Amino acid sequence: MRAVSTAETATTIHPWAVHAEALKVRAGRHLAVDGLDLSLGTGVHGLLGRNGAGKTTLMRAIATVLKPAGGRLTLLGSSVDGRADLRQARRALGYLPQHFGYYPRFTVREFVSYMAWLKEMPKRDIPAATQRAIDRVGLSAKADAKLRTLSGGMLRRAGVAQAIVNDPQVLLLDEPTVGLDPEQRLDLRELLRDLGTDACVLVSTHLVEDVVAACTEVVLINEGQLVWQGTPAALAEQGDERHPGDSPAERGYSALLRSHLAEATR
Amino acid sequence: MSVLGIELRRSAAAGAALITVTVGVAALYTAPGRWSEGWMSLALTVKEYMILLWPIALAAGAWQGRREHRAKVGELFATTPRSRARRMLPVLVAMGASVGLAFLLVVGAGGLWIASTAAYFPPDVVAITLVGALSLVAAAWLGLGIGRLLPALVTAPVLAVAGVLLVFFTAIMRPDWMGAIMSPAYGSSPFYAFQTIDPRVTAVLALFMGGLALTGVLLLVARGPRTSVAAVLPVLLGFGAAAAIVPRDEAALVAPIDPVARELVCTDDAPKVCVTRVNSNVLDALTPLAREGLAVLAKLPDAPTQAHEERWAYPVEDAPTRDAGIVTITVRIDDHGGLAHPDAVVPEMVFGLGTGYGNPECERNGAVERAAAYHLLGREPVSDVGVIPEMIEEEPQLNAEAVELWQGLQKLPAPEALARVTAVRDALLACQDPTGLLSR
Repeated sequence: MRAVSTAETATTIHPWAVHAEALKVRAGRHLAVDGLDLSLGTGVHGLLGRNGAGKTTLMRAIATVLKPAGGRLTLLGSSVDGRADLRQARRALGYLPQHFGYYPRFTVREFVSYMAWLKEMPKRDIPAATQRAIDRVGLSAKADAKLRTLSGGMLRRAGVAQAIVNDPQVLLLDEPTVGLDPEQRLDLRELLRDLGTDACVLVSTHLVEDVVAACTEVVLINEGQLVWQGTPAALAEQGDERHPGDSPAERGYSALLRSHLAEATR
Repeated sequence: MSVLGIELRRSAAAGAALITVTVGVAALYTAPGRWSEGWMSLALTVKEYMILLWPIALAAGAWQGRREHRAKVGELFATTPRSRARRMLPVLVAMGASVGLAFLLVVGAGGLWIASTAAYFPPDVVAITLVGALSLVAAAWLGLGIGRLLPALVTAPVLAVAGVLLVFFTAIMRPDWMGAIMSPAYGSSPFYAFQTIDPRVTAVLALFMGGLALTGVLLLVARGPRTSVAAVLPVLLGFGAAAAIVPRDEAALVAPIDPVARELVCTDDAPKVCVTRVNSNVLDALTPLAREGLAVLAKLPDAPTQAHEERWAYPVEDAPTRDAGIVTITVRIDDHGGLAHPDAVVPEMVFGLGTGYGNPECERNGAVERAAAYHLLGREPVSDVGVIPEMIEEEPQLNAEAVELWQGLQKLPAPEALARVTAVRDALLACQDPTGLLSR
């Protein structure tokens, strides 16, 4: 019998892992997220949108890098604003930024361990969690190689490994497939499906195919607002032969964007 | 795999320690004669080399301090719960411990060389060495803070140069007490073997360096510009506290004398030969030479009966008054801590005819004195170059004149020659010009 902390007995049941209401976030002086309503639960959510739609800004806000300029944002039940203590939420967060910064002199294992330490994991759990994260992204053979010796695709996977080392409840991956070869992309999809069974995974990408293959839900945003949210199957039903695209999902994506833009200009 | 272990391996800590040890040991062993005299000489010499070591630690800290900026990890790390201060702790410990230990290794490397010959271990050496290590820790931490604040490629090299200038100019600045507080190299210029550093000067340097170290830490962990500005407080407080207790008198600041190191250690039997405690390891080597010199001088009436090491603390003291019964010897120490230039001991004792250096205001005559001295030594005068180690050049005329006078003495009956030599000695003692006393 051991003492149990209040954090351990706190309810893990939140209506939504990520919940945004009329969320506004600035990127510089520009309001890149402007009145976004979004609720995300367990599963893999593919975040789609054109360049400049606000995908990365939304990711950074959920990652607690940027403070909301307005509206409400809750992460695992705790509110993300200037005053709140974010430590609890941050412990349950995994984040791969669009531009993944790393220490080139560190080995993969050292960097992932270091990130686990920064995420305040219990010291005794770190070595095993590190090994598991490296194994899951398929970098076991390179675990003790220095990061500066890795190729672009390997670095991206090392970035995913550091993001998942703490078994995050909210995992944010900003373009994780950049630099991966086709086989590695298939492996990553597999990993995403696996992670999505008990966590809220938000993946930002330009590749509609990745979303269809790996995501349980599609989130389409434009100019900082939610355009559409639904299953990949429902996305495919949105388009028909008149819309550009090489697959039903791509045609659905085009159809949704077109009708949204038409509405906006009306 | 602990985070401290990772930082020790992957940060600039190991490199900084390696460079510090390499530069420090190389500087020491380039000229071991500067510190072979003993532990305090070693401590002072290492302190002098702070002009190299302190900037190295400062630059290494600055290089390390810009790591997060260089690697662009700020965004990723901002999403983690661990605070900036906690994140910086391992790198502070790694950098501080490695440059501090490196400094102790440098002192230790010198210590190995002198351990068997150094006869006197003043406890102040420990304090001076520990505060030296603290100074390097402070430099590394200040560098970390500045490197984080100004994360440019040129910051480290610019700080290295600035560090050299800072150590140098604070060491020689006026007033002296300010230099004593701020310069990690203050008071390290060696003048004599029984020199020391006042414990209060070591203490105020520790206060100032402690403040500087804290300033570096605050700059490194500051969350915003307000904390960065507040970071100057520790160094100001350190300076203020140091200024309140720093000694202001020259005796404590400029080449202070360790009276224990200057105490005489003598032979038990007569004729008595004495050396300072700090040089007491050469007493056995010096004694037969000094007694030989005393025996030569004993040909004169009322000759000195004891030989003491010269203990004049030039330039902080006036010339001491001489005891006619004692002849002084300049003791030189070689690279290995032994007696250097043993061949010079007897001639140097005899050259002043037992009167010491005499008063510099008195009229002297080099040729007369040399002829008289060589008459006592029983050989023809030669140039001082090659006899007295520091002499590198002299007028050939001087020795030609001395040889002529010496030949004149040789032709005289022994008692008359000795009477003339004695007259020269008496003139020196009375501050009179000895010219002509040998050839009247």
